[in-house]
Amino acid sequence: MEAVIEAKDLRREYVTRRGVLRRTKRVVKAVDGISFHVERGEIFGLLGQNGAGKTTTIKMLTTLLAPTSGVCRVLGRNTFGEEKQIRSRINFIFGGEFGVYRRLSARDNLRYFAHLYLLEPEVFEPRIGQLLEMVSLADRADDLAETYSKGMIQRLQIARGLINDPEILFMDEPTVGLDPVGARMLRDIIRRLKEDGRTVLLTTHYLPEAEELCDRMVIVNAGKIVAGGTPAEIRGSHESLEEAYLSLVGAGEAATPA
Amino acid sequence: MNLRLLCSTVRLQMKQSFSRPMFRFTLIAGPVLNTILLYEMFLSSGEENFFSYVVLGAGLMGIWGCICFSSAGDINRERYMGTLALIFAAPAPFRKTILGKIIGNTLLSLLTFLVSLLTAVILFGVKVRIAEPSHFLVAFAVTIVSFISISSVIACVLTLSRKTELYMNLLELPIALLCGFVFPLELLPPFIRVISYALSPTWAVRLLRRSVEGGTEPSLFFRELLITLVLSAVYALLSLLLYRLIEKHVRIRATLDVA
Ligand SMILES: Nc1ncnc2c1ncn2[C@@H]1O[C@H](COP(=O)(O)OP(=O)(O)OP(=O)(O)O)[C@@H](O)[C@H]1O
Ligand SMILES: [Mg+2]
Repeated sequence: MEAVIEAKDLRREYVTRRGVLRRTKRVVKAVDGISFHVERGEIFGLLGQNGAGKTTTIKMLTTLLAPTSGVCRVLGRNTFGEEKQIRSRINFIFGGEFGVYRRLSARDNLRYFAHLYLLEPEVFEPRIGQLLEMVSLADRADDLAETYSKGMIQRLQIARGLINDPEILFMDEPTVGLDPVGARMLRDIIRRLKEDGRTVLLTTHYLPEAEELCDRMVIVNAGKIVAGGTPAEIRGSHESLEEAYLSLVGAGEAATPA
Repeated sequence: MNLRLLCSTVRLQMKQSFSRPMFRFTLIAGPVLNTILLYEMFLSSGEENFFSYVVLGAGLMGIWGCICFSSAGDINRERYMGTLALIFAAPAPFRKTILGKIIGNTLLSLLTFLVSLLTAVILFGVKVRIAEPSHFLVAFAVTIVSFISISSVIACVLTLSRKTELYMNLLELPIALLCGFVFPLELLPPFIRVISYALSPTWAVRLLRRSVEGGTEPSLFFRELLITLVLSAVYALLSLLLYRLIEKHVRIRATLDVA
């Protein structure tokens, strides 16, 4: 098996400044020495409380953020320094209503990103048609995105994330804001990607979804991995994945980063 | 290939910018107001050439306003929309994407000239008199180049900070004054004029004025043309170097988004 994503003792700190007169520096250890790998064709879950460091990890993997230290490799290349060899082969989707040009139509959004991924019109025009069909936006494709509902924007994001036919797709809370039909659609898309031999790394707060989709997962708490394995392994003797999760992150108390 | 990327970015940017009410205001209402005000000032200024003072003055201020609002403001807007991270992580070189945006905004902002010209002609019924039309065309083209080159340095520095909005507002007026868009440089004290001479639009504006007013030795015109082009090239080179640095730095400082 080939590890297409590799994190070893990966760390990321943020330096923030507080106060106006007496400025104090504060260092947040958002990701505090995590190690995991993902093999080609896997659906891999990154679970954890708010502020656990999931988004930060995804940003480092998608060449958006420099690691403070540790190994961060995608497709065998360092995400900081060798990003040129990675970018055309991956893509990512961040949940929520961001990441689209609201004053453009869905089709124009996709066309523009196709240009940014340096695709040829012979390739992207038919693909855009298919993607719009796939995320059920075909009939609204030429309306401005600012007239879309939250879920429609989210579906447009999904289409955008697939514009370059990526080998690896990173998804940060992709089902946020989707209705049950949309969420089902997304799960089907993810499974189809896997059948095609693609790799998916996703985060979600919806545990049944993670359990249904993921081959393997890690649970992160305050920047550290507290458990990892198949959903069955993590569940262990607990009644459900949720029970196992709650006991791992310390039920009741919200995780606060150091 | 890259030309297509550039064209599509230019198109996207023009569509986006034009659909923003604030931009339309800067593009249309701004020059109208400036033209009217400058006209009134013109009447009591003792300046000779109406076109040079009023139309060029209002047009240049308008262009610069648009560029400030768009090239600087857009980076912040895209940061908040979450698209800055997307264009950054796409295989297309970030600097080319930003350049496309700047070109799009600059081309669109040329409309301010037209608006200011129309205002002057319609409201005040003035005749347009350009002494050296061919020089004027050259000067106009060079002005565009010089604006693009200075915006590209500014835009690139602004990617680094999340306080872009502030800097952008801070920059608008000083540059307009330093480059002599409306008021002659001679009104500035000599030690400040040194800064003016380092700014490429200063020279471009001078070329515009000379071609409108006429009576300039061709050799002087071409010397100043050369200065404008050399300065613009220096800016272009500088921004190229800066982008190298910044592509690393934004990822270390995490300023690509606001999450
Ligand atoms: N740009 C930043 N500057 C300073 N601190 C940051 C920055 N981005 C994230 N953090 C901090 O890093 C920590 C981890 O944040 P991160 O966004 O990775 O969490 P997450 O696991 O994605 O949480 P959520 O489930 O809420 O999305 C948090 O404490 C957060 O406040
Ligand atoms: Mg997150």
